[in-house]
Amino acid sequence: MEKVGIVGYYQVKPETDIQMSRPEMIFYAARGALNYAGLKRDDLTTVISATNDYYDGKTISNCFTVDAGGAYLKDESKVEMDGAHAVNYGLMRCLSGHHKLALVWGASQPSTFYYSCIRVLENDPTFDRPINLLNDHTAAALGMRAYMNKFGVSVEDIAKVGVKNHKNAAKNSLAWNEAQLPEITVVDVIYSEMLSDPVTKLMHAMPCDGATALILAPEELAKKIIDDPVWITGVGLCQETYYLGDRDLSISISMEKSAQKAYKMAGIEDPKKEIDVVELFEHSAYEELILAEALGLCEKGKGASLSSEINGEIPINPSGGAIGAFTPCATGVTRLVEAVKQIRGEAKGYQVKDANRAIAHGQIGFCAQNNIVFILEGGKK
Amino acid sequence: MVKLEYIKKQYPRTRRVHGNWYLSSYQYKFNVKRINQCLEHLRKGELVGLKCRSCNTVSFPPRLICPKCLKMPDQWVHLRETATVATFSGTYAKESGDTEPRPYPVVAIRQDGADTSWLANLPEGYDFFKVYVGMPLKIKWAEDKKGDFSDIEYYEPIEDPSIEMNKKEETEN
Repeated sequence: MEKVGIVGYYQVKPETDIQMSRPEMIFYAARGALNYAGLKRDDLTTVISATNDYYDGKTISNCFTVDAGGAYLKDESKVEMDGAHAVNYGLMRCLSGHHKLALVWGASQPSTFYYSCIRVLENDPTFDRPINLLNDHTAAALGMRAYMNKFGVSVEDIAKVGVKNHKNAAKNSLAWNEAQLPEITVVDVIYSEMLSDPVTKLMHAMPCDGATALILAPEELAKKIIDDPVWITGVGLCQETYYLGDRDLSISISMEKSAQKAYKMAGIEDPKKEIDVVELFEHSAYEELILAEALGLCEKGKGASLSSEINGEIPINPSGGAIGAFTPCATGVTRLVEAVKQIRGEAKGYQVKDANRAIAHGQIGFCAQNNIVFILEGGKK
Repeated sequence: MVKLEYIKKQYPRTRRVHGNWYLSSYQYKFNVKRINQCLEHLRKGELVGLKCRSCNTVSFPPRLICPKCLKMPDQWVHLRETATVATFSGTYAKESGDTEPRPYPVVAIRQDGADTSWLANLPEGYDFFKVYVGMPLKIKWAEDKKGDFSDIEYYEPIEDPSIEMNKKEETEN
């Protein structure tokens, strides 16, 4: 397979109520990524955006952001899912040989709508929506209870993930201000505002405004643009059924399958030894444990005993993860960008030592219905 | 300095305009002919699930398509009236007259004989803190049946023999 490299990126600092319009925010992300790579807009051949019509309050929301996203008179397309899926789309376009440079961005402004109310519209309209009980909070709670009950995991174990991610976010200047809590304790997490028993506010990814962009280029071109680009060497994605009742919520089969596909493509046999850093999109703290288990980093049910701090055995979410800054639609792109920063040694304050191979992950749907796994590699070893 | 802050508050960088999205004008179609067979049984006080002939998965409430086999299951099987709690949560909501929000149980229930679970009701006002995974339940039928899923008024908790057994073991030890 011809390699595709990531040659530029930019993150707009996430904020509770950002003082920018949506196109303005997207402009800064797109312009920043081009500036990083030292490219002109004319160099781009394709633009892929990740937005959601419901989040933007407008159908075909990408037609509105063509100018801001750098897609004027370009081949433009949109993914109505997490940004990581948009990266996959851009990757496929680069690999097809028809496109040279792909700009991928994701953006949303949850300060302009009620996020949990909009997530209800994701429900099956004929059966689940009239019951009016299922939204992102209760779905996370059902999954967390199933996980705790099956493997005998305590609330404290799951709260520790929240503590770790909030502490890591405090070191990351591009995390959400409200999530940067260096002094947080397990007790704070457990006794924070209850969203849906047993999920509390500090163990859940709370939405905030933000945008992230990155630029993909095929191997030859990428080497000309910057020194040591980060390569995408493996990718795998997988869907599960929508109905929560049909799934085993205590494990993630879709993550397992996507990880296996990505490992096979990248030639990874023992992920625990070969992977240096992991950037997961955890919608709720317990998901980080389930997803780490599904990645094969530890046995099922033993996720809590994994040493996943920045200087630990296998660092998970040194940037703070989605709990550190959850910008709907952009979170998947941010995970890739954070992994790139770790590999290029640009993660100031939360750098993992000698990171050369990373996992970046994106997801969409209740209880991580759909998962996508990227393997990123630098050229150090 | 204070004056500057005042100006900043008065004139933020952005303004907001309201948008409209007439969601109530949307309509959704679903297959009545298929689910009616289940609803007819519910009217008679019986429970049926749909069984896929390829993988033997029984779904309740009946699903139109088996995702594993990509086939339309067509074998109706009778299910027992008992069920267990598959997983649960509690949301905090205020109802009219409440001063403090109170927990309201959200329970995923698996009917005995079925492989899938669904969100259903416990008796009104049931203490959320008494719910546990694996709690045995039994259907309480509505008095006048209309032939829809509201015929299952709620699931009533029944005596759990495993608790008594655990207690005995503890005292013996």
